[in-house]
Amino acid sequence: MSASETAGSLAERPTGPPKEVTTWKTRIRWIYKLKGLTPFVAALLIWWLTWEIWQPHERILVSPAEVWSALVALVREGILSAYIEQSLKRLAFGVMVGVGVGVPLGWLIGLNRSLADASEPVLRFFNSVSGIAWLPLLILWFGFTERTITAIIVYTMLFPVLFNAMIGVRTVPDRLSQATRTLGAGRLRVVRDVYMPGSFPSVMTGVRLGIGFGWRALIAGEFVVGGGGLGFLIFNARTQGLISEIIGGMLVLGLLWLALDRLILQPIEQYTTVRWGLVRL
Amino acid sequence: MGFGAPVTAVAPPILNPRSPLRLAKKWLLPVVPFVIVLALWWLVWYIGDFAIGVLPSPRLVLDSAIDRWDEFRGHIGASLQRLVWGFLVAAVTGVLLGLAAGLSKRIADFLGPLVTFMNAISGIAWIPLAIAWFGVGTGMVVFIIWNASFFLIFLNVMLGVRLVPFHLEYGLLSLGASRARVIRQVIVPGAMPYIMAGLRSGLGFGWRGLIAAELVGASSGLGFFIFEQQEFNRADLIIAGALIIGTIGMAMDRLILAPLERRTIERWGLVSTE
Amino acid sequence: MTDSNGGRAGAASAAPATITVDDLSHWFVSEQSGQTVHALDQVDLAIQPGEFVTVVGPSGCGKSTLLNILAGFIKPSYGTALVNGRPITKPGPDRGVVFQELAILPWRTVYRNISHGLEIQKVPKTERDERVAGLTQLVGLEGFENHYPHQLSGGMKQRVAVARTWASDPDIILMDEPFAAVDAMTRLTLQEELNRLTLATKKTVFFITHSVEEAVFLGDRVVAMSARPGRIKAEVPVPGDRRDRTWEVMSNNQDLQGCVEEVLGLVRDEAGEQEIAH
Repeated sequence: MSASETAGSLAERPTGPPKEVTTWKTRIRWIYKLKGLTPFVAALLIWWLTWEIWQPHERILVSPAEVWSALVALVREGILSAYIEQSLKRLAFGVMVGVGVGVPLGWLIGLNRSLADASEPVLRFFNSVSGIAWLPLLILWFGFTERTITAIIVYTMLFPVLFNAMIGVRTVPDRLSQATRTLGAGRLRVVRDVYMPGSFPSVMTGVRLGIGFGWRALIAGEFVVGGGGLGFLIFNARTQGLISEIIGGMLVLGLLWLALDRLILQPIEQYTTVRWGLVRL
Repeated sequence: MGFGAPVTAVAPPILNPRSPLRLAKKWLLPVVPFVIVLALWWLVWYIGDFAIGVLPSPRLVLDSAIDRWDEFRGHIGASLQRLVWGFLVAAVTGVLLGLAAGLSKRIADFLGPLVTFMNAISGIAWIPLAIAWFGVGTGMVVFIIWNASFFLIFLNVMLGVRLVPFHLEYGLLSLGASRARVIRQVIVPGAMPYIMAGLRSGLGFGWRGLIAAELVGASSGLGFFIFEQQEFNRADLIIAGALIIGTIGMAMDRLILAPLERRTIERWGLVSTE
Repeated sequence: MTDSNGGRAGAASAAPATITVDDLSHWFVSEQSGQTVHALDQVDLAIQPGEFVTVVGPSGCGKSTLLNILAGFIKPSYGTALVNGRPITKPGPDRGVVFQELAILPWRTVYRNISHGLEIQKVPKTERDERVAGLTQLVGLEGFENHYPHQLSGGMKQRVAVARTWASDPDIILMDEPFAAVDAMTRLTLQEELNRLTLATKKTVFFITHSVEEAVFLGDRVVAMSARPGRIKAEVPVPGDRRDRTWEVMSNNQDLQGCVEEVLGLVRDEAGEQEIAH
C-alpha cells in the first residue's frame, strides 16, 4: 500500500501485514527450489557444448550422453551397485574402527595435559605419513588383499579422529569442569558430563576430516589392490580406455560423498552441536 | 614493583619458571613417544625374527637410507619440484578465483556448489582421467597436485572473504576509499585466517595427492620409489621412504606455513597457531 | 549437609557455616609472561554465618584468586583458609560458586542444568523435579525448562547458574562478578532478587564485584582490597539493614550514599597507585 493511499484515511488503516497476493509465480514456487541446481545444469551444458564443438578423441573426452548410457549399462548389469556396496562397506568398517578406537583414545590422551603435550608431535608425524605412503609396505605384509585396503582406511581415519577428539577435550573451558566439581562431581562424572559432550563439535570435525581422508585412501587402495569397489571401476576403465566409465565413476563418487554428508553427517550435527548452539563456522 | 610497594613479611616460595626441570619437561617430553615407538619397533623385530622383506630392524632402515641417499635425493627433488609447480598454480588460481567469488555473490552462487562437488572428487580419483589426458609422468602429477589443492583453497578463500565483517568494509568506504583499496587493505587481510587455513590444508592434500599420483603414474619421485621397492621386497627402503615423506610433509607445514601464519594472522590477533 | 572436603558429615553440623582466612599469601607463575606474580599478601578475613560480604578492588588485585582458594580450586602458598574450622581441600557442594562467564553446560537444557547438582548427589527423580520446579519459579524462568542456554539472554543464563547453585542448598555461596556481563536493567532486578533470596535462605555469601554501588547495595560489609599484591585495605560496614534495601532506598538514603563515597575513595586510591606504579 503506498503512502498516498493510506494517508488521511483512518477507516482504511491496515490492521495487519499486507495479504499475500497469489499469482501464477507463487503457485509454482517449488520451481525456485530447483534454482540451486542451475550451476550443475550449466556445467553439464558447457560440457556438452565443448564436446560438440571440439569433437575430441573418445579416449580424451566423451559426451554427457555417453557417460549416462555407460552408467545405465553398469546399473543394469548390477555391477555399479555391487561396486558401490563394496566401497561403502569398506568405508563403514574403517569408520567404525577409526571412531571406535580413535575417539576414546583421543579422550584419554586429551584428559592428561602432559600426555597430550607429549603425544602431539608423534601423532602429527604419523598423520603426515599418509596411509597411501604405507601402501607398498602393507602390500608386502598382506598382499593384494582386502586386509590391505582395510588397514589403509583404518590408519588414515585414525589420526584425524584421535587428534580432534584430543583437541576437543583440551578446548573445553576450565570453568565448566570447575563448576561441575563445585556441584560435588568426582573425576569420572566430570569426564562424562563435561568433557565428552564438550568435545563433540571437535569430534564431529575429526570424523568429517577422517572420512574425507579415508575415502581418498580407499579409492587409492582400490586402484592399486583392486578387488571390486568404485576405485577399481575407475582404474580398470582406464586400462580399457573407457573414458565414459571413468567419468561416470567419478561422478558417482562425488554424489555418494555429498549424499553421505547430507544424509548422515549433517543430521548428526543437527541433533547435537547445532541444537546445543555450538555450531562452528 | 613500583614506588611505595610495601615489604612483605613472608618470603615468596621458589617458583622459578626457567628451572631446569620445567625446560626438560617442555623439550624432552615430546621426544619420549618417538623413543617409545622406536623401542617397540626394535622389540617386535627382535622377538619376531622377521624376514627382511617383512619387518627390517630400525638399524637396517637407517643404513639402507644412507646407502641409497643419492637416489633418495634425486627422487625427493623430483617430487618437490612437482609439488612446487602444482601448489603454486593452485595457490594463485585458488586465491584469485576465491577472491572473485567472495566479492561477487553471482559468481559465488554459480561456482560455489560446483567447486564443492568437485572438491568431493578431488585429487586421487582424477588420476586415471589425468593419465588418459596427460599420459604418465610429471605433467599428470602436477595436474593432480593442482586438482587436490585448488578446490579446497578456493572454498576457503571464498568463505574467508564472505566472512569479513561488513562494518570493516563500510568503515573504510565511508572514509572515501576506493573499492580497490578496500579489497587490498580490508578484505584480503580480513580473510587471511581462512586463506592461510586453505593454503595449509591445500598443501597437505597436494602432498598426499602427489604421492598417490607418483605411486601409480610416474617413473621418478618418492611415491614411485616406494612402490617400486615393493616389487623387490625391500621393506627397509619402503619404510625409509615413508618416513621421509612424513618428515617432509611435517617440515613444510612447520617451517614454512606456520611461521607465515604467525607473522600475519597471529600477530594481528586473529587466531593462534596450534 | 556435606563438610568442606566433599564428604558427608553427621547431623551435628547443621549450623550455618563460617569462613576463616588467616595470614593467607599466594604466589603463582604467570603462564603468559613466565613471571612470578604475588597475588595475595597476608590476608585475614572472617565471615560470620549469614553474612553477605562484598569485595571490591582494582583489576588484578587478587580477589578472584581469593575466591578460587575458597572454592577449593587452588591451594594457597602460605596461610590457611578454613570453612567451619576445617581446611579447604577441594571443591564441593557445600560451597556453591557462581562465575562471571558462562559456566552452565551448553549441551544441557535449563532443567537439566539446574538439576545437575541433584543428579550428582543421587536425589530421586520425583524430589528432583519438585525442587527444580520450585527454583525455576524462584528465578523466574518458568516455561524455559527445555530451552538450551544459547537460546537465552545473558541475564537468563545467570539465573540458571544461580538456580543451579541454589539447588544443592549450600550454606556458602561464592560469587565472582556474576552480573558483570548482564545489561544494566536486568542487573538491578537480579541484585534485588539476590538480596531477597539470600536473606530468605540465610546464606553466607562472598561476592566479588567491580561496582562499588553494587557492593554497598548487596553487602552487610564491604571489603576493599589493595592493588597487587592483594591485601585487605579496609572493611567498611554498610549502614542499615539489608532487609529494607531496595534501589529506591539506596538512591535516597544519605548514609548509604556516604558509604558508597567512602568505598569509592578507597578504590580510587588503589587504582591511582597502580597507575603510578606502572
